[in-house]
Amino acid sequence: MKLELTEIKKSFDNKEILHGVSFNVESGRALGLLGRNGAGKTTTIRIIMDVFHADSGEVLLDGKPFKIECDQIGYLPEERGLYPKRTIREQMIYLARLRGLSKKKAADNTEKWLKRLEVIEYIDRKLDTLSKGNQQKVQLAATLVADPDIVILDEPFSGLDPVNSQILKDVIRELIENGKIVIFSSHQMSYVEEFCEDIVIINHGEVVLSGNLDDIKAEYGKGRRVISATNYDIDELEKLLKSNLSDDIKVVGKNKHYIIVELQGEADQWHVLEELRKLNIDIKNFGMYEPSLNDIFVSRVGEEEEEVEKSANEDAAPDKKPVKKLFAGRKDGDK
Amino acid sequence: MKKIGIVLKYELGNYFGSKSYIISTVLICLLCVGIMFAPRVINSFKDSDSDTNKTEDSKDEYYLVYDPEGLADMDVISTYLEGAAVKEASGIDEIKSQLEEENSDALAGFVINSTNSFDYYIYNKSMTDTASMMFSEYMKVLVKMDYCNTHNLDVEEFFGVVDSNIDINENILGKDSTQNYWYCYILVILVFMIIIMYGVSIATGVANEKSNRSIEIMVTTTSSVELLFGKVFAGTIAAFFQIGLVAASLLGTYQINKEYWGEGISMFLDIPSNVLIAFAVFGLGGFLIYAFLYGALGALVSKIEDLNKSAGTAQMLVMIVYFVVLMQLTNIDGVVIKVCSFLPISSYSAMFARVAMGHVEMWEIVVSAIILYLSVIGMGIVGGKIFRNSTLRYGNPIKLTNALRDLKKK
Repeated sequence: MKLELTEIKKSFDNKEILHGVSFNVESGRALGLLGRNGAGKTTTIRIIMDVFHADSGEVLLDGKPFKIECDQIGYLPEERGLYPKRTIREQMIYLARLRGLSKKKAADNTEKWLKRLEVIEYIDRKLDTLSKGNQQKVQLAATLVADPDIVILDEPFSGLDPVNSQILKDVIRELIENGKIVIFSSHQMSYVEEFCEDIVIINHGEVVLSGNLDDIKAEYGKGRRVISATNYDIDELEKLLKSNLSDDIKVVGKNKHYIIVELQGEADQWHVLEELRKLNIDIKNFGMYEPSLNDIFVSRVGEEEEEVEKSANEDAAPDKKPVKKLFAGRKDGDK
Repeated sequence: MKKIGIVLKYELGNYFGSKSYIISTVLICLLCVGIMFAPRVINSFKDSDSDTNKTEDSKDEYYLVYDPEGLADMDVISTYLEGAAVKEASGIDEIKSQLEEENSDALAGFVINSTNSFDYYIYNKSMTDTASMMFSEYMKVLVKMDYCNTHNLDVEEFFGVVDSNIDINENILGKDSTQNYWYCYILVILVFMIIIMYGVSIATGVANEKSNRSIEIMVTTTSSVELLFGKVFAGTIAAFFQIGLVAASLLGTYQINKEYWGEGISMFLDIPSNVLIAFAVFGLGGFLIYAFLYGALGALVSKIEDLNKSAGTAQMLVMIVYFVVLMQLTNIDGVVIKVCSFLPISSYSAMFARVAMGHVEMWEIVVSAIILYLSVIGMGIVGGKIFRNSTLRYGNPIKLTNALRDLKKK
């Protein structure tokens, strides 16, 4: 199965929120949908779920228009909510029946998923008697109760402690192994990095980066190296490199462990190593730079912000407000 | 359609599992049973009381009559003033002093001025006091007797002519409004109360779903129209089940205690079957229309506290219909009620009133019912769309006019 979004546009109150979002995800793969608050992630998900209708563009499943009522889809919305005064068994069976399962299958699946998420002992308790973490697990069980082929999880880890997070991680891994399509929206990059082969970064309603995570990492790491030394601390080393090797390398970042540099012009790593030796730098680390998803996200979204800021400043008259104010209206989160 | 059934069953669980629903049903039924048994219980106390006190009471209490001209016959007066003795007073002062005396057994006093005039004295006049009326009946007889005496007429013959009984054989070919008015009045009030009470409960159910954020799960699981139909049908069944139980307990215990109630209550309870059928058909249709409206209005708010603001529109509409129909019961074949009986927002009340009391053709009933039930379906679909559009709009309550305008945009 292949779920495909093509050129999705959506406006609210004459303001375009999504400016042509396109991406696709296939069975057995997980897609990480990333973006800052108000970027358009939840709106995109709600369009897939037919909560909102797109102004233009299409959602396709295997090339045909996607109809939510015909395909099994499990959705964990960002706004969690079930019926607090009904028992967990009642409401899970209810949801499963509405998704087309028979009475028996609904009852069996209810028990199966509650067992899997280790909350089976609460099956006949009312939801509001459970802790927040357990309610969250029940919500996830309700999402999966009809064994959906497509699973959309909006911030699934929020509110979970490390033990419960591990249970959820295992469940998501199983879903992927079982050939489900998993769309995963989160601000927690480490989780996305753990599960997702593909990512889509949305910023201001546009896809600013998409593709295979390993390829993206390789692309972002291309021509970049990390350097650390035993006889200089990071700041001293940065100064030394900037003053002596500016023709060969450019310092593009640092952390407490190493400096990230980009090879310049014709310079290769062997040449740089030779120059470092000439400067009597006792090398502790010298190797390929592998960026984290967090680095990529900050870098890509940061670039985007800079570009927006730059273009706004170019157009701006002196009395115009600073660019950051442009985003104040998006503070209320995704629609 | 299958999903409507699933939603309906689940929502019924909300009603039948609700403590407030169970307790209110039991309490109202018990109250009805209590009311229906009340005359029997009161009667049993009266019987035992009357055995011991009746003779003493009737002996103790008395009326005072002062007849300075000697026009009246005290024995005859006694036959008109039942339940107490009659004593002759020596003057007005005696009557006043005995009536003003603390714990006095004197009930009232009469001073006969002439054959056609008397003064009535009483200390505190109660709402149900009929002594002066009974005494004036006696005085009318006194006038007639005086006339017979002065004109040398035979008293018996004279009374036979003047007070002759007229046999009336009433043949009502249409409807008897004097008989039908009261149950019609009661049914108009009943349907009004059902709509207000259960409409608000349906709106609360929808607003709750929005408030506890389960609505996003629900609208992505099934269609909003199916959801709203399921909820409204569940509310309708719960409402009619509760009313059925109350009616059964009321009518059942009425049958047991019928002999103690006399004729007074039968005008409210002996409702012809054609009126009951019209009430059921139009009452159900009217309830459904308003239930869908209430459901949609419930979706316009994010918090239960805001529900009153939103539901006010429906409440106002129901109130207007209620007052218009009640006022028109006395002009049942007028233009206003005829128009109301075809409008889907008012036919639930106006049409069955016409069936009960007025002149109505069968085709009018059929057309009105068709308009009503088509409107129910239309209202369900529009309500479902409002419900859907309002799903994820949190914050201040959305105005119904804005919600309808948004429907046009889509």
